[in-house]
Amino acid sequence: MMQPAPHPHPDDETLSAFVDGELSDDIAETMIKQLSSNAASRARLTEYWAVGDALRGLSGQAPDLTQRVMAVLESEPTVLAPRRKQHTRQPTLWLAAATVAAIAWGLWQAVPRTPSEALMAAAPSTQHDNVMPYLAAHQDFAQAMVSTSEMQFTPVNLAEAGR
Amino acid sequence: MSDREIDLQLVERVRDGDKQAFGLLVEKYRRKLLRLLSRMVRDQDEMEDIAQETFIKAYKALPQFRGEAAFYTWLYRIAVNTAKNYLAARSKAMPTVSSQSMGDDDEPDERLVAHDNNTPESELLSKQVAIAVNEAVEALPEELRQAITLREIEGMSYEEIADYMGCPIGTVRSRIFRAREAIATKLRPILGTPEDRRW
Repeated sequence: MMQPAPHPHPDDETLSAFVDGELSDDIAETMIKQLSSNAASRARLTEYWAVGDALRGLSGQAPDLTQRVMAVLESEPTVLAPRRKQHTRQPTLWLAAATVAAIAWGLWQAVPRTPSEALMAAAPSTQHDNVMPYLAAHQDFAQAMVSTSEMQFTPVNLAEAGR
Repeated sequence: MSDREIDLQLVERVRDGDKQAFGLLVEKYRRKLLRLLSRMVRDQDEMEDIAQETFIKAYKALPQFRGEAAFYTWLYRIAVNTAKNYLAARSKAMPTVSSQSMGDDDEPDERLVAHDNNTPESELLSKQVAIAVNEAVEALPEELRQAITLREIEGMSYEEIADYMGCPIGTVRSRIFRAREAIATKLRPILGTPEDRRW
């Protein structure tokens, strides 16, 4: 005995519940997909919308407006856009992350990263004068030790460079 | 799935290349949109032209629709801007109407609003629909009339209606469906059979 084929189209009572937004997500999604290929269901759905509008006092003027719009759209290129993911925005999470990042950046800027930098940062400006004779002597000595006739060294004016 | 979520799903279908899904959105909101425009433009032909332009603009702009507002809210803004632009362009063309800046509000400027030029056909259709609906609702059994009224006029959910009427949600669903069918049967000869209006 042959099994009856499953009804491929939604029944009208389900369409009526669809109009009212009273279907579960999965059933509603299935119905939306079916509507594209089922002109009879689309027609019934539009009747139910018309009933609701008529009860709310919205008249039936311009009954052919949809046909006119669709006729114009026939000559328009199909709208194709990347599908947007349906996700819940969490602004508080982003705000918290941004705050943490800002604090971390501030600390990074404020705290010396190595002990030597800490010393340099803490060194008083008068120390510059004490170091200069040493650097000048080191510059002269290093050039004397490694230089050849081909090498051209340009002595640095340490007093200006240190400013 | 809520009404707003259904609209978003339909928008996604359009973005995937399904033009029929856009036809459903047009069919769902055309009467509401025409009522909005009737407060700004009273000439029937102009109103329909602006409504058509609104939907076509909306179709072209769908890639920019982010879904942060409801689809109708977004459509409403497009319609108001389209109507304002139309009226402003017309006011420039008509020397008897002084041109002026358009405000940011959505209220139509009375000086730019056209006079009432509703066609006799549209007025007749509106009256016929109103009479047919009233007769159909009057003829409904009390429990069906109450169910459809609570749903369509009061905007109550099935659960709220079930609580109010003291019956299961399945019964509410069935009553609303039967009421809709009865009213649709009365309206069908006036609005045209579905076969007449395939798109």
